[in-house]
Amino acid sequence: MTEFLETTVDKFIFRVATDRFYNGEGVWANEENGRVRIGLSDFVQQRSGDVAFAEIKPIGTSLDFGDELAVIETIKVNIAFTSPVTGKVIEVNPAMNDAPEAINQDPFGEGWLAVIEPADWAADQTRLLDPQAYFRQMKTEAEEEAKKL
Amino acid sequence: MSEKLKNNTFQKVVIVPCSGIGKTYGTVSREAAYDLIEDLRPESAQLVPLSLLVLGDETARQAVAGSPAITIDGCKLACATKMVQESGGTVVQDFAVLDVYRRYRQFKPQGIANLNEGGELLADALAEEAAEVVDQLIAGENENG
Repeated sequence: MTEFLETTVDKFIFRVATDRFYNGEGVWANEENGRVRIGLSDFVQQRSGDVAFAEIKPIGTSLDFGDELAVIETIKVNIAFTSPVTGKVIEVNPAMNDAPEAINQDPFGEGWLAVIEPADWAADQTRLLDPQAYFRQMKTEAEEEAKKL
Repeated sequence: MSEKLKNNTFQKVVIVPCSGIGKTYGTVSREAAYDLIEDLRPESAQLVPLSLLVLGDETARQAVAGSPAITIDGCKLACATKMVQESGGTVVQDFAVLDVYRRYRQFKPQGIANLNEGGELLADALAEEAAEVVDQLIAGENENG
């Protein structure tokens, strides 16, 4: 069962799943039996707003670490997110076509974006943030956002 | 339609849009409501401001209690729908602007006080969908009444 780090900033509660790695944009990567599932963090989905459309690179796409993986259109913004893994897209969440609100409803679970077959997951991990490091970064960003309110 | 409404007669369908100020989707919801009550179905739809329901205005509460309501929510908080229900009304159709936009992606809404063309077209499309619901309700009322 996934455990979370949690913080409250202003009236918002943000959670960070502790069983995966993150890039600086808040894209998480969770290794599962040699494959890596990708999604967006709770902070990213809350900051971005309700998702209207999610466009994920199609199955078969080869990506380098940092290549564009997905573009999310929300009620506030359009944002491109980069891949935290080098490898090939082998699965795209079908919910992204007809129910992309899954990103908002369950960012660490049903709202996953894609599964990638990694070329060198061990190398990718060294370039990612562990949950504690991402939690600290996320908290700082959330506090900065709160000052603007 | 609920038993409560089946036993009532009504003249107009109540339209309750989002009251969110400073939000694009809230503006779309109100523009759609204005299209509906002013241009598309002035004889069969009336607007009840969400703010009056929040304030407990008796005339507004009576209006939603006595007629079927169509709500148009600007975000997932669904304030219009919740407030109609709390005011004793019956929501027969809840439109969420985001869901409507998903059906009309070519109409990307932008702007707040003044919507861009996409926002205006999205409001028009939403109003047309709501007008169809109004027509169905009125037709049912005429059959019953």
